[in-house]
Parts: sequence; C-alpha cells; structure tokens
Amino acid sequence: MKPVNFDYARPDAIDAVIRLIADDSRTVKMMAGSQSLGPMLNLRLVQPDLIVDLTGIEELRCFSDGADEISIGACVTHADIEDLRVTDVTRGALPTVANGIAYRAVRNRGTIGGSLTHADPSADWHSILAAVGAKVVLRGPAGERIVTVEDYMVGALEADLRPGEVLVRVVVPRLSKSARWGYYKSCRKTGEFAHAIGAFMTDPDRGVSRAVIGATESRPVVIAKACNVIGDGRAPRLSDSFDGRAVGEILEKAGMVDPLDKQTHVAALRRAIEQARPQ
Amino acid sequence: MSICSLNVNGSAVSAEIQPRTHLADFLREKLNLTGTHLGCEHGVCGACTLLVDGVPTRSCITFALACQQADVTTIEGLDDDEITRELRAAFTREHGLQCGYCTPGMVVSARDVVLRMQDPSERDIRVAMSGNLCRCTGYVGIVRAIQGVIADRRERGIAAIPNGNRTRLGPSGSGNATPVTAASVRPKANAAPAVKKAEAPAAASLRDTSWKPQTTFMQSFTVGHPVDDVWNFFSDIGAVAACLPGASLAREPVDGHVDGQIKIKVGPISAEFQGIADVTRDDATRTGTIVGAGKDKRSNSSTRGLIGYAVKPGDAESQTRVDLNIGFTLTGALAQFSRSGLIQDVAGRIIAVFVQNLETRLSHRSGGGEGEPAMVREFDAGALMRSMALDYLRRGLRWLLRRS
Repeated sequence: MKPVNFDYARPDAIDAVIRLIADDSRTVKMMAGSQSLGPMLNLRLVQPDLIVDLTGIEELRCFSDGADEISIGACVTHADIEDLRVTDVTRGALPTVANGIAYRAVRNRGTIGGSLTHADPSADWHSILAAVGAKVVLRGPAGERIVTVEDYMVGALEADLRPGEVLVRVVVPRLSKSARWGYYKSCRKTGEFAHAIGAFMTDPDRGVSRAVIGATESRPVVIAKACNVIGDGRAPRLSDSFDGRAVGEILEKAGMVDPLDKQTHVAALRRAIEQARPQ
Repeated sequence: MSICSLNVNGSAVSAEIQPRTHLADFLREKLNLTGTHLGCEHGVCGACTLLVDGVPTRSCITFALACQQADVTTIEGLDDDEITRELRAAFTREHGLQCGYCTPGMVVSARDVVLRMQDPSERDIRVAMSGNLCRCTGYVGIVRAIQGVIADRRERGIAAIPNGNRTRLGPSGSGNATPVTAASVRPKANAAPAVKKAEAPAAASLRDTSWKPQTTFMQSFTVGHPVDDVWNFFSDIGAVAACLPGASLAREPVDGHVDGQIKIKVGPISAEFQGIADVTRDDATRTGTIVGAGKDKRSNSSTRGLIGYAVKPGDAESQTRVDLNIGFTLTGALAQFSRSGLIQDVAGRIIAVFVQNLETRLSHRSGGGEGEPAMVREFDAGALMRSMALDYLRRGLRWLLRRS
C-alpha cells in the first residue's frame, strides 16, 4: 500500500502551477489536502509522475469578504469553514454542512477546492454550494473563467478543468436575512459518502429558490427555479409547499429510473425542507 | 530523494526521503516512533491519527513533504500532556482498550473531543469518534472514558476551546515552509511508462457457464438509421470496435473471437484492459451477446462482462433503437474504490461517444463515403466535457420546451 514513486513540487504562485501542469510529457496531478488523492495514490489507482502541491500558495489559503459575496481560496479546509475562521455569509449553511464531512482529522486537511475538483458525486460541497448558488473561479493559460458549481462537475470524478487550469477560489453569494436553507444526507454510517443528498435554499428578498438532489452517481440535479416544487420561501412551514411528485418527475427526466433510488432521493430533499433553518 | 524537516515532539528532525513517503512511514521508519500505528492506510480506520500543527491529522494519507517544517506530535510526545494523562487514566479505569492497536489514534481523537466540545451528549461523542475504529471494546468503555474526563474538567472550570487553538487557514501542516521550486524537480529520463502489457485471460475462461455478473444495468440508445443498416453494421466487429472510444483490436477477429484492449481514463484514474471476447449474434431475433474478460496490469484489476444487445425499430421511421443489458464483475484495486453507480455513469458516457461515432460511421457509409471518417478515438472523460455539456444542455432545453 505505497504509492508509486513520484516527483514533488510545491510552488508558491499559481503561475508556476499552471506552467507545471501544462507539461504533457508526464502525468501531473495537483494535490491540495490529499484526503481523497492520498487513498487513491496508496491504492495505486493513480500513478502520477509529478505531484504539484498547491498548499504552499498563500493566495489559495485565504478568503476575501465582499458586499454581495465571499471568495474562499481553494485550499481553505472544511474545518476552517466549520470553525468560522472563514466569515459565514450563508446563515449557517456552510459551517453546518462542513461539520458533517467525513471526520475531524480529515476536515483538518481536506479542502473545499480539492473536494469540488475530485468531483465525487456524493461529496457534500457539490450539493450545498449548488444550492446556495456558488461559483468557482478557474485560472489557466488563457486567464480566468467562472463556472457555476453544478456545471463544474462534468460527471463522476470529472471536473470541467481545461488543460493547464486550476481552481483558485469559490465565490459564495451573501444570503439575505430572509434566506432559509436545509441539508439532509442519507448515510448508513457517520462520515461515509452519502447514498442520497437533498439540499435547498430559498431567499425571498433576492427572489431565489433553489433545490438540489445530490449523490446521484453523477452530476447533482439542480432545480434553479424551484418555486413550483418547494415554494418561494415565504410560507411559515416550507414543507407545506413541497411537491414530491414533481421532484420525482424531474429525477426521472434526469435519468434516475430505479424507483427505490428515486424515492430515497425525494425523501432526502423532503427531509432537508422539513429541517429548514433558521427555524 | 528530498530532505524532509519537521519538528517532531519538540525536536527538529531531518531525513532524506522519497516524496511518496507518507507522514506515518516517515515517523516509523526514519525516526523509529512506532507508537503511530498503521491500519488501513487509506484514511478510514483512524489508527494513524496524530497532531500536526496541534490538530488531529491522518498521517497515512498526508505526505511528509507536505508538512515541511510543521509541528508534529505523536502519541510518544503526549506523555506529559494534561488531557492525555487524564484520558490514559480514564481508558484504564473504563476498559477503553484491549489489544491496543487503535489506542494511539483513539487517544489523539479523544483528546480533540475533550479539548473542543463543551458539553457533548453520548451521541455527539460517538459521532465525533466515528472516524476511529476499534474491533475489541465495542466503544462503550471509550465513550465512558471521554465522558468522564469532560465532566471532570468542566467541573474544575476548564472550558472547551471550540477551534482547538487553530487560527491559520489551510490544511494542517501547510504554510510553514519555503517553496520547492520546479527547478529541483528532475524531468524523467524516459517518459514512457515502464508498464508491461498484461497477459490477456485465456479463452477457456469465457466458457465458465457458472459465472454470474455482480452488477447488471440497462442502457438504450437510438440512431437515425434504418434497422437493417445498423444490424448489418454490427456484424463487422472491427468497425464496431473502431466506434468504441479507447478500444483497439490486436488482430482480425476469427469466428467472433476478439482479442484486444480498451483504454479508459476517468478523472485521475486511467486503466488499460487487455482482454478477449466472444461475439455471437442471432439474425432471426436481431439480438446478440458479447462475453468478455480483461486485465489491467497497472492496477492489477480484472473484469468480466456480459453484454446482451437487441436491435429494433425506433419510435420514428428509419430510426433504430438498441437496448443493452450490461452485466459485469470487477475485482482488484479498481474494485476497492469504485462504486457500481460510478461505473454506470462512466459506461453511460462511453456509450454516448460510441453512439456519436456510430452515427458518424453510418452516415459516412450511407453517403457512399470511402475510408475512415473522423471519430473520437480515446475515452478521456475530460476531453468529452464539451460534447457532454452540450448533451445536458440539449436535454434540459427539450425538457423545458415540453413543460411550457
């Protein structure tokens, strides 16, 4: 259970990373907290020639707080968000979800950017960040481009990274005082990858209502205009507006045909809505 | 080789290591600090948990070089730590260990719970400790020991520190060192991978009738060409293989026996299966089967598969619908990681490219074209991103239009 021998670089600037990963002659892998890549290296599922450690870059290990949004560096950890070392603009959504990712020892190293780029369909960040309407900023040889979190995952284990590109930060919109959110994941064992995830966010003041069904074995199913299935967020009891049948139909359209699978995912979203926060 | 310098249990240490050395191996092999135990070596069991820059960290999935200049505290360095001393007494009192294998990691995680959680319920403690596996005690004694230490400390007026005294952002162990510049990275003399081709399984293995696939799923696709054209096309194994991204035949098929390979790249994982297959088809029912087996030498994984296909008229005229019934078994390293649903997603994406290539080929033939049309030859899920994104967009649009 030892990785293949690889070369290692820890640059201190993103430009240097872009230069290193552009090298076509070798298999180059970027590494952040190594909590997903580490096991894959140990199991020799991944056999790179060069590992580029991103954690030496100061820019990726900080955040900046704007009026309408917050930018979180790619190498900020789950524990940083859980412990509020990063300002929370989501009325508790991100810190609460961070608290439920894997185990504390993993959260102390696992990063938000690494998790998104690893693109495991069952990972928590994809679902909750898609629910709050977050975007990722990718930097490459041609400059920066911005992609929504739901579009960043192309499929299982595949992120929308063009050659030479690296995820530099995650941009999370500041939710208004009227915003409510919910998150439910179905796991048989604490800390394991979820079998089904339901997440939603309604923000009536900003006119936003979004629902996400995650852990689908591929991209999360995002309902960007979810008023007809979860309401606009003004009802005192949000679960009264929940339309499970409509959600089931949407899942079927997205290709989820197994009735048990569908039911598990609809139930996850229903529970997320029943547990809407703040109460 | 690289020089790794750490501050271990208060002393500066330095040793020459390979970059692949994880932190636990560095401590055990170079410093003889064997108190750090290795269980699963992929971050699940928690036995290797220790403190890096003061916070619990999995040392089996953290590379030593990634912690350059960091403070590392192993179980040996916690002899005089106040919380750990109290925990040791409580573990002894409550029978919190038997064989002791999980104990170093268990104590480090327990210390973190005591330090950070003000007044946790039994459930809170169990959830917080769920990343550390113990196969002896049944956890009751461990949980009781932690509860006892917390109750005692809170009674003495010692409050919890929710952030565990960490103020810095980023992975534990990062941000202490100067960069390792690209210049110190040597280019490899031979870039070509020294991976030997796997030997294909023997043909006899396909005739094992007792074999049943572990997982089965169905897939369907439609092409805009008449049924006869599609059915006839499927008789040309070489042409079908050419539509399958990443696949290539070693030689011309004889009596439906195929010998070849398929390359698949999904995210960071790439595999190259060498294998054989038997193809049979029935003109009367327009159904066929493909039985195959293959090996990926790199990951030492094997797969066996059974694909049944049926070619029938599609919904519209001059359309053909192909139903696939796919069953497979995957063993070896790849199976340890993959979940069946992920394989379905990948299979779905491979089939999407196959259909795209099939359409190209059929159109090329019906248009009287000679030779080979341009096709997607490799399955690299990343490179397919654009076509897939378009596909999602199309599906989404179709759905929207139908609703309005």
